[in-house]
Amino acid sequence: MRRTRLLALSSLAMLVVAAGCGGGSSSSSSSGGPATTLDKTPVTITMWDLWSGEEGKPFNDNLKGFTKKYPWITVKQIVQPNTPNDTFDPNLVNAINGGNAPDVAMPFGPDYIGQYCSSGLWQDLTPYMQADHLSIDDFAPGAITYTNSGGKQCALPSLTDAYGLYYNTKMLQQAGIAGPPKTMDELMADAKKLTVRNPDGSIKVAGFVPLNQWEELGPGDLSNAWGAKWFDSSNKAVLGTDPGWAAALRWQKELIDWYGYDNITKFFAANTNNEFNTSNAFQKGKVAMTFDGEWRTAFIKRGAPNLQYGTAPFPADAAHPEQYGSSRVGGTIVGIPKGAKHPEQAWLLVKYLASDTNYLVNMANQVGNVPTTKAAIASPDLTLPPQFKVFLQAWVNPKSAFAPPLQPAGGGYADLLDSFEDKWQAGKIPDSQLESQLNTLDQNIDNQLTQGTAP
Amino acid sequence: MLLLLSPWIIGFVAFTMGPMVLSFYYSFTHYDLLSSPHWIGLDNYRFMFGKLTLNGQPDQGDPFFWTSVRNTLWIIVFGVPLRIFFGIATAMLLTRPKRGVNGYRTLFFMPSMAPTVGASLVFVYLFNPATGPINQFLGHIGLNQPLWFFDPTWAKPALLILGLWGIGDAIVLYLAGLLNVPRDLYEAIAIEGANAWQRFRYVTLPMLTPVIFFTLIIGIIDGFQYFDQAYVSSTTAGGGVGSPDNSLLFYSVWLYEQAFSYFHMGYASAMAWVMFVATMALTAVLLLTSRRWVHYGGGLS
Repeated sequence: MRRTRLLALSSLAMLVVAAGCGGGSSSSSSSGGPATTLDKTPVTITMWDLWSGEEGKPFNDNLKGFTKKYPWITVKQIVQPNTPNDTFDPNLVNAINGGNAPDVAMPFGPDYIGQYCSSGLWQDLTPYMQADHLSIDDFAPGAITYTNSGGKQCALPSLTDAYGLYYNTKMLQQAGIAGPPKTMDELMADAKKLTVRNPDGSIKVAGFVPLNQWEELGPGDLSNAWGAKWFDSSNKAVLGTDPGWAAALRWQKELIDWYGYDNITKFFAANTNNEFNTSNAFQKGKVAMTFDGEWRTAFIKRGAPNLQYGTAPFPADAAHPEQYGSSRVGGTIVGIPKGAKHPEQAWLLVKYLASDTNYLVNMANQVGNVPTTKAAIASPDLTLPPQFKVFLQAWVNPKSAFAPPLQPAGGGYADLLDSFEDKWQAGKIPDSQLESQLNTLDQNIDNQLTQGTAP
Repeated sequence: MLLLLSPWIIGFVAFTMGPMVLSFYYSFTHYDLLSSPHWIGLDNYRFMFGKLTLNGQPDQGDPFFWTSVRNTLWIIVFGVPLRIFFGIATAMLLTRPKRGVNGYRTLFFMPSMAPTVGASLVFVYLFNPATGPINQFLGHIGLNQPLWFFDPTWAKPALLILGLWGIGDAIVLYLAGLLNVPRDLYEAIAIEGANAWQRFRYVTLPMLTPVIFFTLIIGIIDGFQYFDQAYVSSTTAGGGVGSPDNSLLFYSVWLYEQAFSYFHMGYASAMAWVMFVATMALTAVLLLTSRRWVHYGGGLS
């Protein structure tokens, strides 16, 4: 019986009917909901997510808004372990293949979304969205870059991360630097000026740490300052042919060599596990400027409330001022896996988590992530610190995008770039060979993507 | 009879034979867990050994396959003999003390009771080039301070030290072997006027060869499967899996990455079969040559 009803509901005609009432229901009280089409039989849906620890409580509190809106739906949360190396997605794939798919999946990152969309392992949400008049344009332009692959909108963003430059106001003042650097040349000069060394040459305070995998810094974040592309229109890697990559890598190497590779590596080693605890290098004044995500504002509020700091967009190359203000974006996504037992109710939850203004605003205020819809960003109820503005602007910047770009074969190709960075940073690739080695890297990336794509 | 064997048979078919047959089949397919396997013949093996074509396109093959093979051979070639050497040496020392002998034995065995993951985490901390006590100590006595887990040259030696620290299981085996050597053999050779070295060379060592042989084979198999320490230490040190510069990208680590990070199940299955064949071949060679140098009890004449 339930089966037939579900089939009927999922037919397009019914969805169009639902759409007629949907607009009214989302705007105000639950009583105005589309009672004629919503199946109000009490039901329990399962959701896989990662909200635990300090973020667990605000999430659970704000999830109550959903239960209030749809009292007949019980959400059974299955909180997955948040390990440094992603186990959420491999486990989810196994659960889906084994016929135990949850109704809703909410990983903290979109790294596997290319595979999910291309394989149909996550359902295309387009019909639901059309029915409820929810458009990807209700989010920022960058949203589509990590929720849609191959034309399938198989996930929606639910709060996101955006990145920028954090700087220690006091240190800049003491060094006589008027404001945050706007170009990469200024960043280099300021980084050198702000660095303080110990008598033995080791680094006491680093102006800016340019190492790959220093906290949030990835190779694409530097090359974005030159507007470098990852792939051409035929989806071939262009790291060797887009001059932005070589320029970014040379900029990085120059600063590394100025510190001395051993010195900066030791500095990296001393701070490598402190990113998310109160010994964080920026919070402790061990780095004067750093590339970091919006959540740092909340971390500073909790862990270093007296720190005087400012935020600014990450600098851009002087010849690419159009890049200033854009950043890598991307964060938690939510979607409906294939084989979900209650897809209709799952969609209600997905819609709530992705687009309910109250939910997004409250979560942004409490967890310190960027709210993802235009409506939430414009909300007067946001109580975020002034330093947060940079990240709201980065999220809505039309040049902001998820990186490394989604591929149907997955994001594993970025590991090849990390290996390349290991060699480059350590000086194992001579400067004269940078371009030719990048061409080889392109080939390796193309090969891996071919290997990972079904023939 | 069959009834008594049935738990084993069921387990063998369901958890060993079945997966092996399946993985053999997968190794000839493109299989990404997401869609059903697709037959591609030998393409996975071609990709592995490189310089051949993939899906009809010119291809350089897997850029890190040989890196992972070299790393794995490194840890076997250096790790296994060193473990045997230090295992025997420590076990011999442990036969010496008259008092508190059990205390010493427990002390030496203790490290191997530490879980590998925990031990690896602690080692990354101890060997931290900036804050770790090892380098502070090396600095005090005026020695060179390597970057250890942050330097491709020193990352594997650091893991080697971790392996030698957790040598207790081997020590116990050698200790049992040593204590099993019949006293009359020593008495006999003493009458012949043998010195300490000759006692070791002509009695102790031959009588230990079955244990050495066992630890050699287990050591090589463990070497092929070397995973936990490398995976944990490379990711804890703040780099990616196998970092720095892929110096900790061992065969099993790369296989795991292919299977569970990239979902290249077909290719990972092919890698697993190549490893299986290599392990079997090496073990067979060792078994064949063992007749020449392994002396089983009573065989000594």
